[in-house]
Amino acid sequence: MPLTARGEAIFERLPGSAPRISTGAIGCQIVRHEELCIGCGRCASVCPSGATAKGQVFDPMQLYSAPPDSRRGALGVALRAIARHQPSGPIEVPERVSVFRTIVFDASRCLGCGACARVCPTGAAEALPVPAAEIASSSSLASAREATA
Amino acid sequence: MSDALTEERAAVSEAGSADRTIVGFFCRECAYAAADATGNARVSLPTTIRSVLVPCTGRVSPLHLLSALSEGADGVYIAGCLEGQCHYREGNFHALDRIEFAQNLLESVGVERERVRMFTMSAADSPKFVAAAREMHETISALPPLKRK
Repeated sequence: MPLTARGEAIFERLPGSAPRISTGAIGCQIVRHEELCIGCGRCASVCPSGATAKGQVFDPMQLYSAPPDSRRGALGVALRAIARHQPSGPIEVPERVSVFRTIVFDASRCLGCGACARVCPTGAAEALPVPAAEIASSSSLASAREATA
Repeated sequence: MSDALTEERAAVSEAGSADRTIVGFFCRECAYAAADATGNARVSLPTTIRSVLVPCTGRVSPLHLLSALSEGADGVYIAGCLEGQCHYREGNFHALDRIEFAQNLLESVGVERERVRMFTMSAADSPKFVAAAREMHETISALPPLKRK
């Protein structure tokens, strides 16, 4: 399992330790449904590895794809009524606007713990279980067994 | 949300015959007091202005701004307390950032960002209130009517 940046720093300080090579995480596969996201940021605040974070920009297309009965959806309906063309890409978000931010998900840092899916109020972050075959052949488990043997 | 929105919709629909409509959200502590003083002094305001009272400019969300535009207003503005003098400490800073967010959002879909603006004034400063209303009126009069789908 890959270590967090802080864990890596501690690990390197240990005497006589060889630099550890990440062998790939086993855990849930996190699937994000951005159209359901309301931007509350709970996933970002509970993420232990920093794989999920609040972004600096916002993609207005998220307003169009949001469910129409949601707050973002209502904003999307209003925006669509006055829009002259399709949104030209992500926009800058001022500091104090906290909910209209696109969540940035970095799959390479994800541990698969599923904490984000547990706290997500709308089901925008979904944790899919790992198929049994993949667990059996998981390189990190195999290397763990070798290490203990 | 619903009260301010209902009031706003009424304000937009009663405008019907006028050429342009501008919706102003006025803070109860400053701008609305300034508006009262303006009325007492019998200074006339542009007839395009429709006022909506809010307890603090921090209450105004991007949804208020955009739904006003999508339902008939050609421009929207917020008038609130001077920076650092908000009665709820930081409400006007939130409003400033939301205005900027709404402007970015409008720009990304090809609508002029001057349609949404923020003004600040003290409760005693009714000349500044009138100046803000006239400035907004001139800005919006110079722009073509906002097209809606």
